[in-house]
Amino acid sequence: MTSPDQIAAQILSTKSLSVAQPWLNAFLSSSNTAQRNIPPSALAKTAIFRLLASDIQESLSKHRSCVLPVDIHDPTVQERRLQGSIPVQVLDIEDIGTSLWSQIEAIERVERGEAIHGREIVRTIAVGEDPEASENNRANNNPANGAASASGNSGYGPHRLILQDVAGTMAVGVEMQRIDGIALEKLAIGAKLLLRNPSVARGMVLLSPGSVTLLGGKIEALDKPWRDGRKARLLEKTAGVERE
Amino acid sequence: MARKILCVAEKPAIARAVATHLSGGAFQTHAIRGNQYVKNYEFEFNFGGAWGNCSVTMTSVVGHLTGLDFDRQYKGWMSCPPGSLFEAPVQETVDKDKLPIAENIRNQAKYSKALFIWTDCDREGEHIGSEVRTQAKAGNARIEVKRAKFSNTESAHVRRAALEPVNLDEYQASAVAARIELDLRIGAAFTRLQTLQLQTVVTALKEKVISYGSCQFPTLGFVVDRYLRVQNFKPETFWGIKVILSREGKKVNFLWKRVHLFDRAVVTMMLERCLVAKQAKVTKVNQKPTSKWRPLPLTTVDLQMMGSRFLRLDSQTIMKVAEALYTKGFISYPRTETDQFDKAIDLKKLIEKQYPDSSWGQYARELIDGKFKTPRSGRHNDKAHPPIHPVSWVSSNQLNANEKKVYEFVARRFLACCSDDAKGQSTEIEIQYGDESFHTNGLIVLERNYLDVYVYDKWESSQQLPNFERGELFEPTEANIFEGKTTAPNYLTEPELIGLMDANGIGTDATMAEHIAKIKEREYVAINQRGSGRSSVQEFIPTRLGVALVEGYDNVVEGLPNSVSLSKPFLRKEMELRMVEICSGTKTRQEVVQQSLDMYREVFIHTQRRINMLKTACRKYLTEETT
Repeated sequence: MTSPDQIAAQILSTKSLSVAQPWLNAFLSSSNTAQRNIPPSALAKTAIFRLLASDIQESLSKHRSCVLPVDIHDPTVQERRLQGSIPVQVLDIEDIGTSLWSQIEAIERVERGEAIHGREIVRTIAVGEDPEASENNRANNNPANGAASASGNSGYGPHRLILQDVAGTMAVGVEMQRIDGIALEKLAIGAKLLLRNPSVARGMVLLSPGSVTLLGGKIEALDKPWRDGRKARLLEKTAGVERE
Repeated sequence: MARKILCVAEKPAIARAVATHLSGGAFQTHAIRGNQYVKNYEFEFNFGGAWGNCSVTMTSVVGHLTGLDFDRQYKGWMSCPPGSLFEAPVQETVDKDKLPIAENIRNQAKYSKALFIWTDCDREGEHIGSEVRTQAKAGNARIEVKRAKFSNTESAHVRRAALEPVNLDEYQASAVAARIELDLRIGAAFTRLQTLQLQTVVTALKEKVISYGSCQFPTLGFVVDRYLRVQNFKPETFWGIKVILSREGKKVNFLWKRVHLFDRAVVTMMLERCLVAKQAKVTKVNQKPTSKWRPLPLTTVDLQMMGSRFLRLDSQTIMKVAEALYTKGFISYPRTETDQFDKAIDLKKLIEKQYPDSSWGQYARELIDGKFKTPRSGRHNDKAHPPIHPVSWVSSNQLNANEKKVYEFVARRFLACCSDDAKGQSTEIEIQYGDESFHTNGLIVLERNYLDVYVYDKWESSQQLPNFERGELFEPTEANIFEGKTTAPNYLTEPELIGLMDANGIGTDATMAEHIAKIKEREYVAINQRGSGRSSVQEFIPTRLGVALVEGYDNVVEGLPNSVSLSKPFLRKEMELRMVEICSGTKTRQEVVQQSLDMYREVFIHTQRRINMLKTACRKYLTEETT
């Protein structure tokens, strides 16, 4: 039988995450009954997969060295640098380089099954033809902007994230330099990031390729309602703008 | 008697022009019975080769000879359910007012060895040619049929076309026949359905025919779509950072690479980090030659777009004027998709013809004296016509005001195509300030070249930039946050609408202007004047009826997974693509008619079933108006 320490060590070495004992034990007992003879490396992989889909408040250890300061949002602090690697999960992502209204228009185009290529309006829903074939067509014709326009996002960013650490402390993160993988259609709610010695200015964590490692993952129970409710939230915000 | 050849053009003016060129001006004119415009011109011409010297009768039709219509028992609006018009028998008959013209062709054919068709060389012309052939064969079953291929009515060009006849393009003629049948069936079915159903709904529509056309509706759809975007728009505040440096007595504005963001706290934090950094570093100084490209050879769509932008004429007027200039032999055929000149065409000779002009004659001379450049080639070639260009010079006092504008545009555009690009020197400076990047650009125009004749393009030198060196540090004079608001898009203008129609396959370059005129005439859209004086622009705004129809049809297909609204371009675009397949010979006329009818029949059935959606939309927008 694989020892919990072995798995924990492997997760720490590959993902720099220190897993919480109770969560790991629960994981092992649930998988041991079903799959007895799995090699430790495969079991560790499954554990990592589950971990990335979990709420880190339950699955990761709350050691003092890996949490955000509780006053992180303090806007009176001009700049400070946090030490060490801090795992966080994404609770919200916004594109602050694109107006709310154009994001709403883009979502509505997707709802209508349309995409725009230059001046041309393109149907993204296949009619009376092999859906797979048209899918291929689209991929071939428009590898670059097909994905972005199909999901209704121009995706230029920069992005503003709400991050949460293992202790439940929340912080705003701002994408100061373009980070691959941070985009509305690529980053799921509940995805995990590792902040490495990040700077914090006026209560905002400054995100750059040097200070962020993207671990991926998603919390399904948060992601789906977030996506379903996105248009309504954007509409609500534009109404707020109007009242100002 | 010597051999006789019958020539038939699409319009009387072309017949006269061709007769003039072939006969050298020596022809006899005979009136025909029953039509005051069509004349027969008789002369001798040596066609060379097997034909040799022949006597010629040159005559014309006036557009299409025949029309397609339903059999008598289906003609009354109440005679049958509108849906049956998808299958009802149809007949092609010679239009009543064209009967004397058809008879003239039959009579002339009796004494002729061959028929030379001189209709315009496009799809429509090919079909008209096939109608002419039908009449000629009815008069003389053994008559040989040829087609003259020409794209302007300049003398040498016309004579060459007479010597090198080709065959009629059956595929193109079939494509037009398919389109005519589809337009008739689909147009009549939907027009009857919606008119009969909607007339009863509100008093405003009583007695009104609410016509449907498969191009009209998507065209209306574009106008309504933009209108709703403008109406629904919500402005938002954004913030940005601007950096100014005063140096060598000049004020340099640096623009933020992020342009602006929609989060004030973030922008404030970013600005603070710039200020804390104190000094900005020059990361890039890029000086390089730059050029503004001369325009591509002129296509119909471009003529309409540029024309409505710069000449203040609507697209339909532009096409009428261009047609008149073509018929008089001043410009080449104005319906073309081609934006590349054939190598065989003698451009210099065409340029020389512009020498006498007091405005651009001198420029033409300079081109020939050494400044000439081979025009750029675009990616389109319809294999039928060259780009629009002047074929001969005409003094402006022989033209009316609109003709003058269009001719001048065509001539200047042509000379611009044969000129060198405008040349300049651009400077690009990039700085890093805190975590942020900023840039500024400078331009010095060194050689104007084509800009001298193409007065429609603007390219001006900017303020000269002070010197910067890569790696140098400086403290900006000012760095501030600015605030702005997003603004709604404008209502659709005609050039934009043509652009949308072109990109989405609605209509052809030849018919776009007609569709736009149609939705105005039907009172689905109205014209609004934005601004005043020289900067004023005409915009399209839908009427209440226009909005109601689009909303109604959108609601009809709402929630139906495989259906698209008639207000969208997709169905028509598919149909247009099938026309192209007929032209290339990969599909037959029957196949295409059946497939396209099936496509529209499905929407028709949905519309019938959910007609209340249309009625509700009409009530919503039109009842209010009457009370």
